[in-house]
Amino acid sequence: MSFEQFDLNALRLSQDYAELAGVRKLLTTVPVRKPGPQDFFRVHPDEAWRLQTAVIEVKEDREVYLVSPALREELIGEFVPVALYTAINRQKITFLWPVKLPGPDGRHNRWHQSAMEAAELAMTRWLRLQANMALGAYELFAAAGSLEDPQWPEVGFAELLRIAFRDRFIDSLEHPVVRRLRGEI
Amino acid sequence: MKALLSRFRHLVLVDFEFTAPDGECPQPICLVAKDLASGQVWQLWQDDLQALSTPPYPSGEDSVLIAYYASAELGCHLALDWVLPSHILDLYVEFRNHTNGLTLPCGSGLLGALAYFGLDSIGTADKDAMRALALRGGPWSADEQAALLAYCASDVQALERLLAALAPHLDVPHALHRGRYMVAAARIEHTGIPLDGPALRRLREYWEPIQARVIERIDSAYGVYDDGHFRAARFAGFLAAQGIHWPRLPSGALDLKDDTFRDMARAYPVIAPLRELRATQSQLRLSDLAVGQDGRNRCLLSAFRARTGRNQPSNSRFIFGPAVWLRGLIQPQPGWGLAYIDWSQQEFGIAAALSKDPLMWAAYLSGDPYLSFAKQAGAVPAEATKRSHASVREQFKACVLAVQYGMGAESLARRIGQPAIYARELLALHRHTYRVFWAWSDAVLDYALLKGTVWSVFGWTLHIEANPNARSIRNFPMQANGAELLRLACCLATERGVRVCTPVHDALLIEAPLADLEAAIATTQQAMQEASEAVLGGFPLRSEVTQVGYPDRYSDARGQRMWDTVWDVIEELA
Repeated sequence: MSFEQFDLNALRLSQDYAELAGVRKLLTTVPVRKPGPQDFFRVHPDEAWRLQTAVIEVKEDREVYLVSPALREELIGEFVPVALYTAINRQKITFLWPVKLPGPDGRHNRWHQSAMEAAELAMTRWLRLQANMALGAYELFAAAGSLEDPQWPEVGFAELLRIAFRDRFIDSLEHPVVRRLRGEI
Repeated sequence: MKALLSRFRHLVLVDFEFTAPDGECPQPICLVAKDLASGQVWQLWQDDLQALSTPPYPSGEDSVLIAYYASAELGCHLALDWVLPSHILDLYVEFRNHTNGLTLPCGSGLLGALAYFGLDSIGTADKDAMRALALRGGPWSADEQAALLAYCASDVQALERLLAALAPHLDVPHALHRGRYMVAAARIEHTGIPLDGPALRRLREYWEPIQARVIERIDSAYGVYDDGHFRAARFAGFLAAQGIHWPRLPSGALDLKDDTFRDMARAYPVIAPLRELRATQSQLRLSDLAVGQDGRNRCLLSAFRARTGRNQPSNSRFIFGPAVWLRGLIQPQPGWGLAYIDWSQQEFGIAAALSKDPLMWAAYLSGDPYLSFAKQAGAVPAEATKRSHASVREQFKACVLAVQYGMGAESLARRIGQPAIYARELLALHRHTYRVFWAWSDAVLDYALLKGTVWSVFGWTLHIEANPNARSIRNFPMQANGAELLRLACCLATERGVRVCTPVHDALLIEAPLADLEAAIATTQQAMQEASEAVLGGFPLRSEVTQVGYPDRYSDARGQRMWDTVWDVIEELA
């Protein structure tokens, strides 16, 4: 019999389907929100993945709009200064978390202060954030297990911003959100 | 065809007509063969065949035997004590590979293959009549002999037409590798599985009264049978009394499928004997079990029948069918022993090796991948042992198996007897821990959906039709490469002289005289390791051995209660 002569190595076909398929997951939606009360989350520790900027929250629509720097003088009192952190939860959903910065008086309320602390702590550990009305601040819960570090998306922060605010960027005083705030519509 | 002709001097199309009573080796009636290269034709009746000590056609290195489901033709070689050919091209296997996963209007028999390519064929009625004439057994009149030879010749002509149609699609090196397995399959089908003949005769003799009494005995713990019939309403009452939450169909009725019983029996062991009883009642007809005069269970392995390329022997004819307790009939002959050698955590190892997930491979190497997974996921401390964290380990084991079977959270929750949210968390931990594996699994699915095919390392291919099942596609590499492992191990073991009684999913059952059993086990384990290294690019998988020496018998813990009950009843009846 000649069967032992079969060159099995030569017969072996690749099982590296990732290389063969060349398919990668596209990031098409980036929510702008705070972490859910049941989400353990991490915050990207790199400074290049956060931004201090201005947003307008339209509370009735639960939507956050990014304000162009050129319009800020015109819209003082309407926008809030925030730090936009890049965050990710255990379900691998990447989102931008706007944490309010101190007002012109430099004062932080306890909600914002505790959120800022949470963002700092979440750069190195998995945290859960829960509002405690009696305390008037967020309570933080750190994951007890030694969970692995998150896998951050391959796109850069600028691309995350573009995806998150592609339909919610105020770059003109004619923007419907601005006109609504002025009572024009 | 050019690839074949450039490689071989002789392309020999072969078809035997034979009788094969239940459990017996095939007995050749006549043979027609044709060498496509020279045009020479051989037509031989059984007397002429038995007078030959070697095949009349070339069967050496420079020739390839071409047949449709070749283990039958090779079984005739073994029955005639002829040398087995060096190379096999099985057009059944290649047609299956060419169309695997597609809906075939006329099936995958020779007629179906011809119809698929729009080729002329002998009419079905004629084929059935000729089959019946062959199976009737001899003696055959001169007219009948002529008719059978003509029928045999028509099959060879059909083979020739089919070869011409399939040739442009053949990947010759892989096809010959698959043909190699058909030689092993023929040897295995020829060997068969030794059974305790007297015990089987007693079982068959008392089978009718046994069934009623076994129901009575087993049902005494459940109270769900009435007049020999399973009653769903009574079963619902039993479940309520036990506090077991049983899955239901959309209609609200209890889901009584065997798969559900199997899952629930794992979560609630109290269900196991009832499941075994129901499987026995619904699927076991002792008269169908194919046992030869020599007390051996022999049936077609149905090689390459499953989509994954696995064997798919008949549930009712094969001793390793669903009624597990019946495997207690397996017993080595006097002076001999049996060994059941299975790969340890085969599918987990395959997944680790093919996906190249380092954590998964480390878990496999640990020897206890389930506990390792729990440690890697941070669910137990690093010093945890199988004993100190038995229940957590069981849950992580269930999770690993759930991923392998493509099970959702609800099914896993049922299996581990926990709420669905807990099962979802376990599955999420698997995804988090074995990210490399999941990225690879996603890529398998992406590729299949994009390009319409996926394949094993040796080219067993699944073609994707409309409405594909994502879970089946993800699972295909593990199953199809598991089948490759098993086939190659069968080839290596049988070619090295081991008497393989049967392959069973991820195991080989072998036999040898007691004095030679250890050596046969070592040869088989070596073959299994080499097979895993060849399929998995150098990764060796471990195997485990269970030995049985005469007069002991093979046993499976899952069927022990049923086996004991049946024999208690026989003692009462005798």
